[in-house]
Amino acid sequence: MTDFHPLVKQLLDGEVTLAQLPPELRAEGEEALRLLEAVNRDPVALTAAVEARVMGAVRRRAAAPSLWRRLTEPRELHLRWRPWTLAPALAAAAALVLLFGRPGSAPTALAPSPATATVRFVLFAPQAQQVALAGTFNQWDAAATPLVPSGTPGVWTATLTLPAGQHQYAFVVDGARWVPDPAAPTVDDGFGRRNSVLTL
Amino acid sequence: MTVRHGATDGAVVRAVLAGDVERYAELVGRYRDRYARYAARMLGSVDAAEDAVQDAFVRAYDRLAECRDPDKFVGWFFLILRNRCFAERRKSRTSVPLEAAGAVAAADRPDGAVETAERRQALQRALLELTPEQREVFVLKHVEGLSYDEIATRVGTTVPSLKMRMHRAYDRLREQLKDRA
Repeated sequence: MTDFHPLVKQLLDGEVTLAQLPPELRAEGEEALRLLEAVNRDPVALTAAVEARVMGAVRRRAAAPSLWRRLTEPRELHLRWRPWTLAPALAAAAALVLLFGRPGSAPTALAPSPATATVRFVLFAPQAQQVALAGTFNQWDAAATPLVPSGTPGVWTATLTLPAGQHQYAFVVDGARWVPDPAAPTVDDGFGRRNSVLTL
Repeated sequence: MTVRHGATDGAVVRAVLAGDVERYAELVGRYRDRYARYAARMLGSVDAAEDAVQDAFVRAYDRLAECRDPDKFVGWFFLILRNRCFAERRKSRTSVPLEAAGAVAAADRPDGAVETAERRQALQRALLELTPEQREVFVLKHVEGLSYDEIATRVGTTVPSLKMRMHRAYDRLREQLKDRA
């Protein structure tokens, strides 16, 4: 019989101490601990050539991407409804409320408050499996604001009510590819990439 | 080349995906040695570990767009390296590299600690007799110092399953070491 006693296995797992073992298991416990003493935890350092070889392979791939990669490279076309295009309609709605609204009646649910604006984001990405919007308004959480397929194939949309002010954002295609809005101004994100800027 | 100290993994991954491939070197430098020990103990040889780590980094670059959460690059990379180590061990299962096991022990042996080196060598040889799954849980817990919860998160399994593997590993190691005593 070579199996360790279950209590000795707990000792090896660090769940009990040698002193907590019954006296008849102490010798087996000491044998088990000697096994762990032989574990080699010294660090292993690889040669610097690893980095050079990896980057050599990476550069070759970047310089000559495969035909398949070039054919399947996603190309995005982004269309965005600018909030100020809604301004005349919102002004008319506000005037109607002022003229005909009863005292004490709540504002209509669809009318945004003066401190917010409703923005519809549209992305044309026919090869995407999923698209999301990440930005300062959702702590750059790529899972928080998914776009949904619209009735038109390849077109993804999301409608957000955002507070007035400046927002930075980007689209996240298939959870990995961050795409700035080519139709909007951009700023450097500090890491060599561009974020789109939306000012409401 | 601009060096950006403190850039997150996610920021570096996104920069590489955007076309700045030179920044991939930051990830290689950051994690090259961190998993070298894991690979060396899994494969029984520093040379094999070097090949595995190098290959895993190239594979990770090829599949970088599939990294769903760039901020968790290191966990994703570990799974690629792990698959590489498992495949390598299965490929060479019929010929356990005993001399390689000795090479690991000798390379890391402190001066004068002959007995320690011999015990390390015996344990490393015994580890190579385990299944890759048993060896992995032993290496992650007793070499890398991870808890069962951390290992479960990293390899995507449950703590009871890991404990079962580990406890079988303890028994097999005891058997192996007794045979060699």
